[in-house]
Amino acid sequence: MHMMVLGVSLAFMALIAVTFILVARARPPRSDANRSEARRRQLIWAMVIFGVVVSVASLARWPHAVSAAPTEVVNVTGTQWYWEIDRTEVPQGVPVLFSAKTTDVTHGFGVVDEKGRILFQAQVIPGYENKVEYNFDEPGIYKVICLEFCGVAHHEMVNEFIVAAR
Amino acid sequence: MTAESDFGTVAAMRGVQERRDGAVRLAMLLGGTVFVLMMLLGLVMRLAQGGLVEIDAALFYRIMTAHGAGMVGTATLTGATILWFFTNRHVPLLAGVFWAFLGLFLLGVVFILAAIFVGGYGGAWTFLYPLPAMSGGFWQPSAAALFLLGYVSIGVGFLLLHLEVARKLIAAYGGIGGALAWPLAFGRGRPEDAPPAGVVAAMASTIFNVLGIVVGAAVLVASIVNLLVPGFTVDALLAKNMIYFFGHVFINAAIYMGVIAVYEIIPEYTGRPWKTTRAFAIAWTVIMLFTLSVYPHHLMQDLAMPAWTLVMGQLVSYFSGIPLIAVTAFSLLVYIRGADMRWDLASALLVLGVAGWSVGTVPAIIDGMIVVNKVMHNTQWVPGHFHTYLLLGEVAMAFGFMAWLTRAPAAQERPGAARLTGADRLLFLTYAVGGTGFVLVFLVAGALSVPRRWAVHATQWMPLAQAASVFAALVILAVTVFVLRYLSGLIRQRS
Ligand code: HEM
Ligand SMILES: [Cu+2]
Ligand SMILES: [Cu+2]
Repeated sequence: MHMMVLGVSLAFMALIAVTFILVARARPPRSDANRSEARRRQLIWAMVIFGVVVSVASLARWPHAVSAAPTEVVNVTGTQWYWEIDRTEVPQGVPVLFSAKTTDVTHGFGVVDEKGRILFQAQVIPGYENKVEYNFDEPGIYKVICLEFCGVAHHEMVNEFIVAAR
Repeated sequence: MTAESDFGTVAAMRGVQERRDGAVRLAMLLGGTVFVLMMLLGLVMRLAQGGLVEIDAALFYRIMTAHGAGMVGTATLTGATILWFFTNRHVPLLAGVFWAFLGLFLLGVVFILAAIFVGGYGGAWTFLYPLPAMSGGFWQPSAAALFLLGYVSIGVGFLLLHLEVARKLIAAYGGIGGALAWPLAFGRGRPEDAPPAGVVAAMASTIFNVLGIVVGAAVLVASIVNLLVPGFTVDALLAKNMIYFFGHVFINAAIYMGVIAVYEIIPEYTGRPWKTTRAFAIAWTVIMLFTLSVYPHHLMQDLAMPAWTLVMGQLVSYFSGIPLIAVTAFSLLVYIRGADMRWDLASALLVLGVAGWSVGTVPAIIDGMIVVNKVMHNTQWVPGHFHTYLLLGEVAMAFGFMAWLTRAPAAQERPGAARLTGADRLLFLTYAVGGTGFVLVFLVAGALSVPRRWAVHATQWMPLAQAASVFAALVILAVTVFVLRYLSGLIRQRS
């Protein structure tokens, strides 16, 4: 996902940048008001259709869905500046529900795999029970980091848990 | 009336005009200088993340707070100055209001700097409730309160400026709808009768910035009371909604006000006015509504938010791209293509501003998708996209406006005489290349899951920060020359 996001972004960014450069360098002047207005309409329609398709595709499955009766539950508590996790091990291949709370300010519960990639995250808002679910494909040691600025040792809020093979 | 006294009035009017412009020129000089200073703070952060200088975490986060607040404030200061300057061309504005605005702004800056570097406040420019009151012992509540009072002072200054602009535009164009070109948008008016493009943009950005500041003031007051009266608390999620509504609107207002310089100046180079067409009128009303409703894209990982708000955030993020790309950027390209465009530093920077803004919306929109946001939120992807449309967008427009204010006398009389000389071309390229490299490194770091707002980086990430530091140095070099060039232009004009 991460590299695809980067690739798609860079492609569209380059497209816009190159269009600007080509137009800025083009000679001699040429203008055809009718043609450019027709093009503008095409561009708007293309952007609308593309947007509807991508929006529907990316929201069809609600990204924050959690099971009604989860079997694996982990309670996580953030405090300036450490994470408490009530289990050291969760199973691979089944949905695991993380219920995150904070005792002070807002923290960001972020889970990182062994390759260093962020897999998912949740804001941990004071006064709320913040629930996020994830199904781990791979066994291994996963790191928990803080992804919301919470003060002077924000970057040191690190902990870990194990995903055990089934 | 004798010819002599007639001449006297004209000279007096010119004097008034110049004094008014004097405030604008001074504000841009301050803005440009603060941009350079804040960029130096940015470079220090990048060097620290690259392991090239050592600063303790508390100082890093203070610098981060100063950089964030300073940059957002200065971007909006320069944007509002552009709005003021060009609105003043269409309707006469009270010069005293601008001075009051500048005074309140500077007072706020003093408060903020004192809060950070004397009081030790380091809770970031976003003052996310309840962090200002719960520093874990790293700053006193009084320092946080001083920081927030600085914001209040700046906010009051902006309200004064916007209310003066709104009052005059409403009077001159027959109401809010008239100034927004609604008759044309709704198919009842003729383009010839519509207000100039800059006026429509000024009215729309004034409306949303006022609403943003009012909500910001409410959450600032709540936060200040929370600091002084510890028993007083508010719902953290509600406070976050209000902060991001304000923050999103305020920084977007900077860009939407800055683009007025493009609408007003580029026609001098293309020889054709920027027309208020029906598409333009519709676009600006849509921009206004979208700017006010898109902020939930900052709360996509707040699982307690009602789902519909996050869906709205995702959809509005995407569809906000249409008025920008298909109306402002597209029209700019059509105007340039149809003209024997002469480039000088001013026109090049203004066009770069629209290009950087358009390019920067791509990674922003992609991060505005909930599925992507789950892995990219609060990584360096985020500074990656906002530095693109700020550094290569709003800031480029601001320096473009400054270059135009001080353009060579020949170019002033006949834009066709404008030239992008060898030195200016090199300067422009240094800025563009440095800026592009700098933001690309942030985006790559984000894709590699490097978190944002971390004072200390893992060893394997350090080469990224080191490369970014080199690009940042190029930007700072170019921007320093922009400011010196502007200053010498001001001196030349005075003599
Ligand atoms: C040479 C130019 C610049 C450099 C070197 C620089 C550097 C940085 C760095 C290192 C960060 C922190 C990144 C992190 O979270 O890890 C940052 C954050 C930020 N920058 Fe810049 N920056 C520059 C220009 C700008 C400009 C022109 C603006 C706006 C007009 C800006 C606005 C911000 C804001 C709002 C933040 C967020 C602060 C926070 O997270 O609290 N920067 N910048
Ligand atoms: Cu944190
Ligand atoms: Cu936003």
